[in-house]
Amino acid sequence: MQTTNKKPWLKKLLVIILVLFVAGGVIIYLIFTEKFEDTGKQAAVFSISAAELIKEFQTNDSAANKKYVEKIILVNGTIAETEAVDSAINIKMKDTLTGSYIIFAFQQQHIKEAKQLKEGDNVSIKGSCSGGIYSKILETEFISFKRCALNK
Amino acid sequence: MKKSIILFAMIGLTTFAFAQKKQTTTSAIIIFDATTSLDKLPKADNKTVIASLDTKTGNVAFESVIKSFTFSNPKMQEHFNGDKWMDSDKFATATFSGKITNLSAVNFKKDGTYNANITGDLSLHGVSKPITTVATIIVLGKTISTTTNFSVKLADYGVNGGAIAAGKVATEPKISVIADFK
Repeated sequence: MQTTNKKPWLKKLLVIILVLFVAGGVIIYLIFTEKFEDTGKQAAVFSISAAELIKEFQTNDSAANKKYVEKIILVNGTIAETEAVDSAINIKMKDTLTGSYIIFAFQQQHIKEAKQLKEGDNVSIKGSCSGGIYSKILETEFISFKRCALNK
Repeated sequence: MKKSIILFAMIGLTTFAFAQKKQTTTSAIIIFDATTSLDKLPKADNKTVIASLDTKTGNVAFESVIKSFTFSNPKMQEHFNGDKWMDSDKFATATFSGKITNLSAVNFKKDGTYNANITGDLSLHGVSKPITTVATIIVLGKTISTTTNFSVKLADYGVNGGAIAAGKVATEPKISVIADFK
């Protein structure tokens, strides 16, 4: 008791350190347990047709990558192909003239709705753009999307 | 005369088509697992990988966009793409190009499970290194399913982030590649 009275600053310092320690722990816990938000609930930064998006990447893919990568984009187009992948499904929109395509991989909670889609359906799909590159295997430009959701 | 030319052209085209044995998929999967006992977060998959298999020559290849790897945690995904890890702005893809070295042991025309020895070059983070792995190939009707698992030493590819040194990221992550050709 005597010691505390002599050094009131020490008690304050200990309390501050404890508070900082707990706050730091909470912040770290929140950062590392954070999950990606549901794409279906996120607002799209751009809305564009599949044909226009493919054209932009074909014309200048470095400029298009800068513009779209890691942004939520809403793409409108017709389904050219569906591809089974694992227990999920990927959707493709295609430029039939060049073979260039956009491929959408769905977020876990949206796989069920994606499985209902079929070739020829006109849809709007929202997802995080991973960018476009020229495939040396297929010799065509392709643009991939992750964490997608069907826009309703 | 005209009919004969058309007939010959059609036979030629058909023969050409059958001689082409290269099959491709745009929905192959790569699973990247760099988890350690300290950190279970560095695990991701990419389900939009392009892969090819030539059943005649045994040539195999894949192309994977680094930014297409999906992590459950946003911060981990940011670190993975950052300049201390994969530096995906600079090195956009990981690629593999190789060959089945025991092609005669795989009968693509007969249903069954085969072990294929594969040797080739893996290019990652701007560095290309030879790797050897064994793939399981399952032939079922017209579908060929392939799976391979191997490890890469990140230091060999110039990936030396602080998290690796701290033991939070495996120094030799496990990679699985799964591709179905239909």
